[in-house]
Amino acid sequence: MAQKGFYFDQTVCIGCKTCQISCKDKNNVAPGVLFRTVHTFEGGKFPKPWAYFISIGCNHCENPRCVQNCPTGAMHKRAEDGLVVVDQDVCIGCKYCTWSCPYSAPQYLEEKGVVGKCDGCVDLTAKGGNPTCVDSCIMRVLEFGDLAELKKKHPGVQVVEGMPDPSLTGPSIIIKAKPEARK
Amino acid sequence: MGNLIKRALEHSVNRRTFLGWSAAAVATATVALSGPESGLVKVGSKAEAADAASEGKWISAACWHNCGGRCLNKALVKEGVVIRQKTDDTHPDSPDFPQHRGCARGRSQRQQVLGADRLKYPMKRKNWAPGGGKKELRGKDEWVRISWDEALDIVAGEIKKAQAAGGPKAILAGRLDSRLLNAMGGALTTWGVTSEGAWPQVEAKMYGSYPLQCSDRFDWRNAKLLVIWGANPAWSSAGNPIYNYLQVKKAGAKVIVVDPYYSATAQALADEWIPVRPGTDAALLIGMAYHMIKNNLQDQAFLDKYCVGFDADHMPKGADPKESFRDYVLGTYDGVPKTPEWASNICGTDPMVIRHFANELATTKPAIMNSSAAPARTYRGQQYCQAYLTVGFMTGNVGVSGGGVFMSYHSRQSYSSISMVNGGSSGVPALPNPLHPYETYTFSKPEKTDWYSMAYEETYDAILKGEFTLGQRGKTKCDIKMIYSLRTDSGGNFLNQSSGTNKGIEAMRKVDFIVTSDIVLSTVSKYADVVLPECSQWEKAGALRTGNPEAVFYQEQIIEPLYECKEGIWMERELAKRLGVDPEKVHPLPIKQQFFNQIASAKVVKPDNTGMESLVTITDADIAEWKVAGKPQQGRITLKEFREKGAYQVPRAAGDKLVNIAYKAFRDDPEKNKLATTSGKLEIHCKALSDVIHAYGFTECPPIAMYQAPVEGFEDTFKDFKAGVKGEYPLQMFTFHYPRRSHSVFDNVRQLREAFPQEFNMNPADAAARGLTEGETVLITSKWGKAIRPLHLTERMTPGVVTMGEGAWVDKDDETGIDKAGATNSLSGTRLSGQGEQPWNTCIVQVGKWTGAPLTPDYLWKQRIVF
Repeated sequence: MAQKGFYFDQTVCIGCKTCQISCKDKNNVAPGVLFRTVHTFEGGKFPKPWAYFISIGCNHCENPRCVQNCPTGAMHKRAEDGLVVVDQDVCIGCKYCTWSCPYSAPQYLEEKGVVGKCDGCVDLTAKGGNPTCVDSCIMRVLEFGDLAELKKKHPGVQVVEGMPDPSLTGPSIIIKAKPEARK
Repeated sequence: MGNLIKRALEHSVNRRTFLGWSAAAVATATVALSGPESGLVKVGSKAEAADAASEGKWISAACWHNCGGRCLNKALVKEGVVIRQKTDDTHPDSPDFPQHRGCARGRSQRQQVLGADRLKYPMKRKNWAPGGGKKELRGKDEWVRISWDEALDIVAGEIKKAQAAGGPKAILAGRLDSRLLNAMGGALTTWGVTSEGAWPQVEAKMYGSYPLQCSDRFDWRNAKLLVIWGANPAWSSAGNPIYNYLQVKKAGAKVIVVDPYYSATAQALADEWIPVRPGTDAALLIGMAYHMIKNNLQDQAFLDKYCVGFDADHMPKGADPKESFRDYVLGTYDGVPKTPEWASNICGTDPMVIRHFANELATTKPAIMNSSAAPARTYRGQQYCQAYLTVGFMTGNVGVSGGGVFMSYHSRQSYSSISMVNGGSSGVPALPNPLHPYETYTFSKPEKTDWYSMAYEETYDAILKGEFTLGQRGKTKCDIKMIYSLRTDSGGNFLNQSSGTNKGIEAMRKVDFIVTSDIVLSTVSKYADVVLPECSQWEKAGALRTGNPEAVFYQEQIIEPLYECKEGIWMERELAKRLGVDPEKVHPLPIKQQFFNQIASAKVVKPDNTGMESLVTITDADIAEWKVAGKPQQGRITLKEFREKGAYQVPRAAGDKLVNIAYKAFRDDPEKNKLATTSGKLEIHCKALSDVIHAYGFTECPPIAMYQAPVEGFEDTFKDFKAGVKGEYPLQMFTFHYPRRSHSVFDNVRQLREAFPQEFNMNPADAAARGLTEGETVLITSKWGKAIRPLHLTERMTPGVVTMGEGAWVDKDDETGIDKAGATNSLSGTRLSGQGEQPWNTCIVQVGKWTGAPLTPDYLWKQRIVF
């Protein structure tokens, strides 16, 4: 299995949220539900402030808590690429996954009574494409692919200030961090 | 329409495996999919992957807004239903030949076009009656659905009545030219500068060209220093400009950003951020000039050869030698040396930072300075433009590779000023307004005496007080009976987008009749009497979208007109029939023919840069298929290829023949290639500028860059400036372009509201002094109005300065006078300055506790759904 994952170059992300919006468009999710979110962090002291953004969807973790806590098996990690996806025909909407994921990746869809989440746009990637967020990025700061390859190509970190401890789940993400964001 | 709903429902029921529409999306996002939600269940990824996008068709879809970008947008249409969007994937992406990717707004286009809050039917205000009825109810009256016949009869009748009372001068058409009214003798129009602030006349008179020339993006990469002045292209020039800047940085340039706010651009690119107070940039620049002069850092050889007015020895013919810029800076005659300390006292920038910045700018060669228009959207904004250009000329970075003293913004920012590909003409013959036979945006002929029209900023006073300014001819009386605002392209939402919304509401409630057309109930339509539902660009035959110097975009019809929506052209033709005007004279060409004409006359630069050639090959078969009038022609690409790709992008590579260096000819031979200024040189002392600003009749402009305190600038935040005693409105507010919307367009889209909450930004020190905390709703007051907004505290704000995004949809409570949307024009006043620019960034406010109910997030607000 070649685990798939995301690379995020935080150093030049501009917080334009095109990834967040294109994700919503692709997945047709209502306001209040976000499969990918851009978070803003700020600090320092005028006239030397700093700011950075984190664009984050599902990290398709090595040890996904959402899968471990799913009572039905709806939430599962695909053998072929390590993507964590939910079978909505099986999901009973108990929300255990939404409580156990430290990244808030699984999101409860009120009107359907089931959970939805970033599935790495499997319909697109199965045909050799990229997830929508990656191809929408104005600054080209997102990449998707084999995690091992991404690690080789981009030395980076699995966590920055503002994110949960990666030892909890083993997120499949590599981040080129801004100095202020480094843990 | 009913057919479309039926198809959508069948689609969802029969094809349960694909449709991802959630019930919420149905309720809020689409009319095409409203109905029972039982079938609309998205299934797991397995089934979805199996289904895939193997069917359906990607169609190039309009993203037609005045946002600052110009990108490619496509819609996936299956069985007449828009499933989702994507952006440019017409070729592999690289920094040299980048895809033109759309932004969060473009990716929300579907939500706007298919929103539940689309206007569906012609409607009139319940309490409107001939003469106006209960005018005070405008903006809060009920709407009554009417037939197209009734709507058009009312509008035609009111046009007749207004014209009978006062001729063409009784009808205000505002910024939007009406071909119908022009055919009937014209209408009152408004002119001035919005986006570009005080720049146009300064560029034309000091530099000799408007717009200014800029060098090609590949040459920007030769700069060793890039100064981005007052610009946040990350948010306000969506698309590639910020990505092009990144390539400049990657090529080795140091980046300095000057801005009152540590912007998204600054945090991504800046090696250094120079904070400055709004409206005081001229003081900062003049302080820098002082340091340069005192340390002899200016490029004196360049100034001597290419400029006039820098020092007493190089004055233009006829000018007083005591009026040189150098002597003003040194204080030779006024006794005030414009030292960095002098500047700092005004602009707030640390004097040592001013010296250091001046050193860096004067000694790093080559360097590019690029300004936006924001610092010039100030009262007496010319002074910034003059100071910026003057300091730029002092560095000698004109006409050299890797250098530049530029002002570029919007989709052209970071690009050459030369369009390498452009859409052609629609072929519609001009039908000028007899009352104002000139351009309206950047109206440049105030000295003429054959125009009868007003500056944008004077519109409301013209209605309320019955007079306005005709340049040096002085005030003239007027009696405006009617406002006519058919809006074909979502522009013209003046009540929301011009200064002084509260005065505007008062003015809207004075006239006898207001008609607008609209796709949603935007602010100007909310206060109208009759609103006509307009087709969006997705429902029209198509057009070419231009503005991007290296690409042109082909937009075509995506869906049939929704409900009873009609094209503006149809509306005016129908009105013409009722008014006894020949519809063929008003709108002779259907949109499809206009679209075809644009395509046929589109031009692209030849690869060897020796001129332009036709872009599109057109065959007899194409003409027959399109059912239009035209001739076959040979071009670079076939019509089929253009349509399928949805764009044509000029192939570019490093070292190609298309690299243009601005003003190189002038630099190489200034005698042979004189500039179009009075002296043929760069005019640091520019009498022509003083003269033309005088002709507008609002404010005076000295011939050299000088700092004069603007109305509602930093100085006006004090009761006693010298003693340092603050006044009633102690904070400066500027406005910025917010990614939630394109000016006011898209502000109704909930997923954008969710992403961008329209927060009010303030430095924590200013909040602490007022006992305010993060996230609470605060009351913002100015001399002109009140607003409430959630507070965001950030060290990225210069203390004493506050900001929020422009363009929120005014939501004013008449009882309290409070706008809960936080539209910046609810806080700005109308002011007449310079060439009629709108001085939004000189505005002073106070901020305090709000004791009423806190605001809920905007995305949870009720949509403006009329029917």
